[in-house]
Amino acid sequence: MTPHPSTTDREALIECCSVWKLYGDRAEALAARYGQNISTEILKETGTISAARDVTFDVRKGEIFVIMGLSGSGKSTILRCMTGLIEPTLGSLKVAGTDLKTASYEEMIEIRRHKMGMVFQDFALLPHLTVLDNIAFPLRVQGISKTLRHSKAREMMDLVGLSGRGNHWPHELSGGQQQRVGIARSLMTEPEIWFLDEPFSALDPIIRTEMQNEFLRLQNLLQKSIVFVTHDFDEAVRLADRIAIMEGGCVVQIGTPEELITRPATPYVTEFTKNIPRSKVVRVRTVMGPANKGLLIEPVSADALVGDIAQRVLSYRDPVPVTDEDGQIIGTIDAPKVAAVLMNKEAET
Amino acid sequence: MTDVAAQNRLRQSSQSTNALILSMSILFAALVWLLTDHGNWLRYYPENWEWNIASKITQAIKYLVNDAAINGITLSEVTRSFADVLEIPMLALQGILSEGFTFYHANGEITFIPSMPWPAVVFGLTVFAWWAGGRRVAAVSFITLTYFLIFDLWEPAMLTLSSVVIAVLVSFVLGLLLGVWGYRSARANAVLVPVYDVMQTIPTFSYLVPVLLLFGFNPVAAMIATVIYAMPPMARVTTLALQRVPTNISDFGTMGGCNRRQKMWLVMVPAARQNLLIGLNQVIMLTFAMVIIASVIGAGGLGGKVYQGLKSLKIGDAVEAGIAITLLAIALDQISRAIAVRRPNHVHGNAKSFWERHVLVAATLVFTLAACFLTWVFPALQTYPDRLTISTGSFWNDGILWISDTFYPQIKAVRETLIGYVMRPVKTFLLSVPWTGFVAVVSAVSFIIGGTRLALMSLGLLCFIAITGYWEGAMVSLYLVGLSVIVTLILALPIGVWAGLNDTADRIVTPVIDTLQTMPSFVYLIPVVMLVGVGEFAGLIAIVAYSLPPGIRYAKQGIRNIAASSVEVADMSGCTARQKLWHVQLPLALPDFMLGINQTIMFAFSMLVITALVGTRGLEHDTLVAISKVQPGEGIIAGLGIAFLSIITDRLIGQAGRNMQHRVKRNIR
Ligand SMILES: Nc1ncnc2c1ncn2[C@@H]1O[C@H](COP(=O)(O)OP(=O)(O)OP(=O)(O)O)[C@@H](O)[C@H]1O
Ligand SMILES: [Mg+2]
Repeated sequence: MTPHPSTTDREALIECCSVWKLYGDRAEALAARYGQNISTEILKETGTISAARDVTFDVRKGEIFVIMGLSGSGKSTILRCMTGLIEPTLGSLKVAGTDLKTASYEEMIEIRRHKMGMVFQDFALLPHLTVLDNIAFPLRVQGISKTLRHSKAREMMDLVGLSGRGNHWPHELSGGQQQRVGIARSLMTEPEIWFLDEPFSALDPIIRTEMQNEFLRLQNLLQKSIVFVTHDFDEAVRLADRIAIMEGGCVVQIGTPEELITRPATPYVTEFTKNIPRSKVVRVRTVMGPANKGLLIEPVSADALVGDIAQRVLSYRDPVPVTDEDGQIIGTIDAPKVAAVLMNKEAET
Repeated sequence: MTDVAAQNRLRQSSQSTNALILSMSILFAALVWLLTDHGNWLRYYPENWEWNIASKITQAIKYLVNDAAINGITLSEVTRSFADVLEIPMLALQGILSEGFTFYHANGEITFIPSMPWPAVVFGLTVFAWWAGGRRVAAVSFITLTYFLIFDLWEPAMLTLSSVVIAVLVSFVLGLLLGVWGYRSARANAVLVPVYDVMQTIPTFSYLVPVLLLFGFNPVAAMIATVIYAMPPMARVTTLALQRVPTNISDFGTMGGCNRRQKMWLVMVPAARQNLLIGLNQVIMLTFAMVIIASVIGAGGLGGKVYQGLKSLKIGDAVEAGIAITLLAIALDQISRAIAVRRPNHVHGNAKSFWERHVLVAATLVFTLAACFLTWVFPALQTYPDRLTISTGSFWNDGILWISDTFYPQIKAVRETLIGYVMRPVKTFLLSVPWTGFVAVVSAVSFIIGGTRLALMSLGLLCFIAITGYWEGAMVSLYLVGLSVIVTLILALPIGVWAGLNDTADRIVTPVIDTLQTMPSFVYLIPVVMLVGVGEFAGLIAIVAYSLPPGIRYAKQGIRNIAASSVEVADMSGCTARQKLWHVQLPLALPDFMLGINQTIMFAFSMLVITALVGTRGLEHDTLVAISKVQPGEGIIAGLGIAFLSIITDRLIGQAGRNMQHRVKRNIR
């Protein structure tokens, strides 16, 4: 396992610990009786739906954590648990230092007003407010004066590329523009944690790519900690620092895009990763061979994507040296290795 | 496979039990009928067993209202001063629109501030209609207001308009608050919904008496009765609308950091506003339904004119005022509908100044001021001159005379045939069926359709009617409603199916039923009484006329709602149009038809109550008599009788419809 370099040692901002969410008449009773040992048979017998089962992960400061899975796999459920919109049946959740189970109503309001922002799949804009008032809404409920919140909202509109649309109504905007409003609104309170539940799924492919770029640009600027839900593996790979793959309420694997592609834990994960161009995900470090001193060719970085350096490596007959962050040579990469990646084959190690 | 087989066996065995239960109950009824004589309690509920709760309630209410005093203040004094408070906004509005304000000073002087000149009122209201819904709606409003002027109905119309506006506002706000409460607390909702059920099914006349006792005989009392009638649907709509707000919007409210109150009033209610405005539209229509009924306890205005006209058989006056009410109802209906579908656009942005955004308000103000100044020169602008009014009263009266003279033989023939060969036999039959037998059969049917719960409900409610001594009245009501519904369905189903199949027919039928449905129920009585006089036959025709539109509408919807694929399958398998209709379209539309039948029955029951005014004799008659005798208890118990009859039919038909829907679904799978 090669942990992702940028987020390994940061502190955890969200700690999700053995979280279960059961739906059904007897959910509470079952949870009280069996605790964490509920078996699939019992759930089936009682007709209880397990929307989340024993989900455990951390979200670290400053990373983009993507939750990926097919429809109905429990992504929204776990996200809604993290935001306190629903209460988990079992397990504990700590968000920005607060245990959600014991947090009071007032504490939850405080956290939501200052630490969390959320973007919804179908935008969830308020139909009776203009774009400007929609964006300013989170500040309005905090009792901030109209001039102040409007000037802040205007800044935010500029940031997401909606300048001059403040007087429009939500129904006068295209889907992409509406989601920009949703994004601007969720950022108004300068939240530490940013939740996005399939924010681009309702958009058509070209706009979606445009919005993904926009999202990465904003993240470069703002450096939030992000939980991003999607059912699109391409999108997950493009955006994620780490991905958690869910199936039937369980997390089946957590890892960087590269780990998922090079070492899928189950056939279910393989199924997703099959069609992803490995060159866009696999880093040099993963496929490089042993160091070989005495090469004079200009080295490539171990953290570079194979796809980005393929051209250069392929233009030499000799292996190209690989360096780490400190400039130390730690290995070499040669044309056959690159070619294997480009052809989407398992790299031979 | 075994599962299915077991289920089938189960169904068969339950079918044979059902048949057994039904035949047993029918056998019982027949035996009682044949073997007992008039004195037997199985046949007629003995009078000395009656539980005289009605008169006890009357005494209790009268005692509470007039005699029970706390610190020397009686309840009626409290309620009447409450009425005085409610009267203020109404008088203010009426003063502005038509009456003006008169102040009596201590030194005997009198100051009079005149109302808005009528041209200004016409201008302002038309402009408002234009703002809400554009040229068409403005034209309707203008025509309506002009009609009031020309037919010399300005003052009563403005009184009606004022009380309608205030009643609508009060109903809207109260309904909204109760609806919010019902949404927030499931427990509250569990209590509120049955209360709304009873409030909506109990005949209006029943609560007119208590209202009369508490608030007196005046427009405010009428307004309060109207609120009782029009508020429950608003509360229901509110709860439903809030429940239908998309989860994401409500989640956003929470995530945006709202507290409970902010989430409700800044997020949920505004997000539900489209549906709430539809509720407002319903409130307006229901308020108009009460305009004439409430004149029984002194509403005055246009309703009073119709009521007086009907009572003194001045048909012409009644027709003119009836048309005025219908026009006003149509105008307000269109305005409120237009507001409900309005969507703002950014051109009317916030960047403009106040006056730029409110050109219309400014224009109205300017116009009013100008008109006020001009009234000094031209007094005719203050009060519309009498010599410019017309009356068509004699025209209508002559017309009626002519029609009834010319077609007397035909009308008489139809009437005599129907009464002699259909109505009277059915009535006699229902009245001679032993009450125990009737209860047994209805309970058996309830059991078959909805199991033990429904059976117990039917049993309990019917026994209540018998025990309180209103059995006979109930049978008379039932006979009238039952016959009317059958006649209605015979007419409505073919017309509805025709409109469902044929676009041209639809274009003719739909506008007609739309208009008919905006007419307040009472208005239907006028032409009926004009043509056939008073009596049960007139009642029957009025009920049929009133419940026809919903019947047609549902039948049409039933045909239109069928998935195109089902029809295409029929086409592809080579059905003729006739086969397609009988084997595909009608069976698939059956659940919708059931809904339509149910609606027809509910409309028939609500019209039944009003037919008491043209001389029908069932429970509705008892509720009306209770008003003139000021007997609230009798009014309420007789009214509950009608409510129970309609609740039983509603539940039975509703459940039967749902069963049928399951069967259709199962067959499709
Ligand atoms: N309130 C509820 N009552 C019962 N079952 C529920 C409820 N909410 C969710 N579920 C069930 O939990 C499972 C997971 O739902 P969830 O909404 O988390 O899926 P998802 O991964 O977000 O899917 P999608 O991509 O469609 O949004 C589903 O099978 C769903 O039917
Ligand atoms: Mg989801």
